[in-house]
Formats: sequence, C-alpha cells, structure tokens
Amino acid sequence: MTTTVILLCLLASVLELDVTYAFQTLLSRPIIAGPLFGLCIGDMMAGVQVGIFAELLFIDISPLGGIVPPSGVVASAIPLILYSLGVDLYFGFFFGVLMALLYSLFDTLLRKTRFKWLVFLEAKIGKKPTDLWRIVGVSLLLSFLMTFIFISVASWVCAQTAFWLFPYLSSKVHFAFQMAYMAVPWIGLATLLSTFRLKTR
Amino acid sequence: MSFWIRLNMFFRSFFLQAGWNFVKYQNLGFAFVMVPFLRKLYMYDPEMLPTVLSRYLDTFNTHPVMASFCFGAMAKQEESVAKAQSVTEYKEQVAEWSGARRGLSITAASIGDRLFWGTLKPLTLLMALFIWMLLGINFFETPQLQPISCFEAFSAGIMAFLTYNAIALFVRWEGIKIGYESDESSCFGLTRFDWNRTIYKAKRLGIFFSVGLILFGVYHHFGKIQVGLDFFARALLVLFFIIISFVTRRLKIPNVYLYLSAVVIFTTVCLF
Repeated sequence: MTTTVILLCLLASVLELDVTYAFQTLLSRPIIAGPLFGLCIGDMMAGVQVGIFAELLFIDISPLGGIVPPSGVVASAIPLILYSLGVDLYFGFFFGVLMALLYSLFDTLLRKTRFKWLVFLEAKIGKKPTDLWRIVGVSLLLSFLMTFIFISVASWVCAQTAFWLFPYLSSKVHFAFQMAYMAVPWIGLATLLSTFRLKTR
Repeated sequence: MSFWIRLNMFFRSFFLQAGWNFVKYQNLGFAFVMVPFLRKLYMYDPEMLPTVLSRYLDTFNTHPVMASFCFGAMAKQEESVAKAQSVTEYKEQVAEWSGARRGLSITAASIGDRLFWGTLKPLTLLMALFIWMLLGINFFETPQLQPISCFEAFSAGIMAFLTYNAIALFVRWEGIKIGYESDESSCFGLTRFDWNRTIYKAKRLGIFFSVGLILFGVYHHFGKIQVGLDFFARALLVLFFIIISFVTRRLKIPNVYLYLSAVVIFTTVCLF
C-alpha cells in the first residue's frame, strides 16, 4: 500500500509540472490524470469519476495573467490515495478539493519567492548564457520536489484526519457528503453552458 | 531562420514557464527559448550576447501556446537591432523591439486565453464526456462504481488530449514561422487567422454539445429510476444546482465554493 501511495505522489508531482512549468500539453488535466491514478490503485472507474468531477469543478478557473487556479492534479490524486487507504470517495474528494485550494496558495508562495533567487540567476546568465539549461533544469527539479513534498504531507494529514474523524461521523453526515458529491457534475455541466456564451462578436 | 533553429526553439518553447515568477513572469523561459537564435545571430560578436540577453530577461508574459508568434516576431526584430549601424539607430531599433514585444505579448495572450483556455479546453472536455457516455459509463452514479476496462477509462481522455494538442502543436510550430515572416502591418502574423470567427464557431458547437450532454445526462441518470419520491427529490436537487450554478457564475463565484457550501449546508441540514 505504501508503495502505491508513493508511486501516486511521484506520478502526481510529475504531472503537476505539466500544468505550468513544462510542456502544458494538458496531460495533467484531471480527465487524463484521474484514470492514470485509478490504474495505479486498481480502480479505474473511481479514477475516471474523480477526474471528471475535478475537471468539471475547476473548469471555470483559468490561469489568466497571474491567477494560480486550484490544482486539478492534487484534487484527483488526494481522493484516490485516500480511497486506496479505505476512505470513501465522497469524503476523499472533499479533502482533495481543500488540498487543491491550499496547493494554489502554496504555489503562489513559491512563485513569489522564486523571484528572489532569480535576481541572482539573471546576473549569472548575463555572465554565462549557457547556464540557462542548468537553471531551467534546477527550477523544474525544485518544483517537482516541492510538489512531491506537498502531496505526500497533504495525503498523510488528510488520511490521519479522516481516520480520526470517522468514528464520530454519523450516517447522516455520510449522506450529506454524498449528496454534495453527487451535485458536482451538475454544477460543472451548468457552468459549461455559460462558458460557451457567445460574446466574442 | 533555419529549420534546426526553429526546431530547437519549438522544443525549448515547452519550458517557457519553467521559471514563472510574479515579478517578471516568463522572462527566464523567454530568454531560454531565444538563446539558439541569438547565438547564431551574434555568432561573430559573442561579447554582445549577455547585453542582448538582459533585454530578454525583462518582463514577459503571454499565453504559452500563442507565445510562438512572439518568438518568431522577436527574432525578426532582433535581426534589425543587430544590423543597426549607429548608436542612435540601435536605440531606435531596441525601442521598437521593446514596443513590439509588449504589444504582441498582450494581443497573443488575449487570443490564447479565449481560444485555448476559454474554448478548446472545455470543448475537448465535452468531447471526452460524450465519448464516456457513448461507451456506457455512468459517472453520475455515486456510491456503487462499475468496473471498467483500460480502453473505456483512457479512450476519452486520450481523444481530448490528441485533439487539443493537434491544434496547440500546430500553432506552436507555425507561429514561430509566421511571426518571423510577417511584419507590423499584419500584427506579426496574428491577423492571418480569423481567431474571432474560430472562437465563435467553436463556442456555438460547445453550446450545442453542452445542452446535448445535460439532456443525455438527465436520461442516463434518471432513466433507470422509477418515478416516485426518490426520483422527484433527485430531480429537484439537480434542477436546484443547475439554477444556482447559473447564479453563482453571474456573480463570478467559482464552482468550488458552491461545492464547499453544499457540503456545509447539507451537513448542517442533516445534523439538525
């Protein structure tokens, strides 16, 4: 089980790079990342569902200008890690959404602090332009490591919280979380309609 | 611009945002992409390269795919800067280069955001959802999940991935060439395509598919439930969320807060 969790954290950290720092091929979008995580935990339908729900939930936030949207990768990875540990998918999804929002703040902080060492690096590039390859490589590696640490810690904290909370949760609370989870695709589909509003002409 | 330089810039363009920061945005990536061209241009004057690179390390921010137009255009402009015969001409060319970079990056970002983030991404999502539904996957079903094959799980996502990237890679590759070959009169090649018309048509297609998907979803979700209290309760809930989603969209409240509010409200109602 630990191997699966570590594998999932590694895969999520690699995919997270695709969101902003490298490629932007949308391989990291939840509808692709979700089934991949599902394959890792051995339940592809859970992966597909979480992927679709995460993508529909975050479809209205785009990375325009300096906006850092909640991470779809984190929102898909955390629920599936928790699911593989025995937490219900609708609870896992709630934790995943919270962590995706938190990751957006974490990434904002990283981007703010990155400039401090970029000032130093710019001076270095000025002296030796060939250093750019190394700088880009190190930047990607650091982003990967920070994401890996975040996802690993977030998964552990969420799992501990879920197991600690479980004995106190009544069936009514389960029902409430299930209903909110059920509403996600409808919220997303309604948003898609307004996304395609014809205001370009 | 030779094929190999263009290819090198094309591959490097995937790392445009590697050093994204809140002060100068994509400056590091921009310099990284332009280095092969600049090295070739200043081959006989390598001492100039650090000074030239410092200009590229200034603030730069645009859409990662549409940035290819900027790369091509900036390469062309840099050739004019390199050919300057006097200090006055050099300063004029640098000012022109700087203005073109600022103007083009803003225009390209505006088109890219509307086309890729605002239209193509949701459209490919719709396509994937349709494929899944056609394969008989009912993702609306929450507690019991049916087992599915690898093909069923990945086919829709792969189709969405290929469709999006076919367009994105074409723009990335051609943008460098078009930007390099065009001038200010055609906004460095941006006016070669009727972006507004493309976005308009894609959005019309999106509306058609969205309505279709909602109806398909309603049929899929409610088709097997017998008309009774459970049916009406579910229908009311779905209708409520569709309406409230329209309202929150108008108020510019993101979906994620609607979901979190639903969790809090449902838990409160269920507990008391």
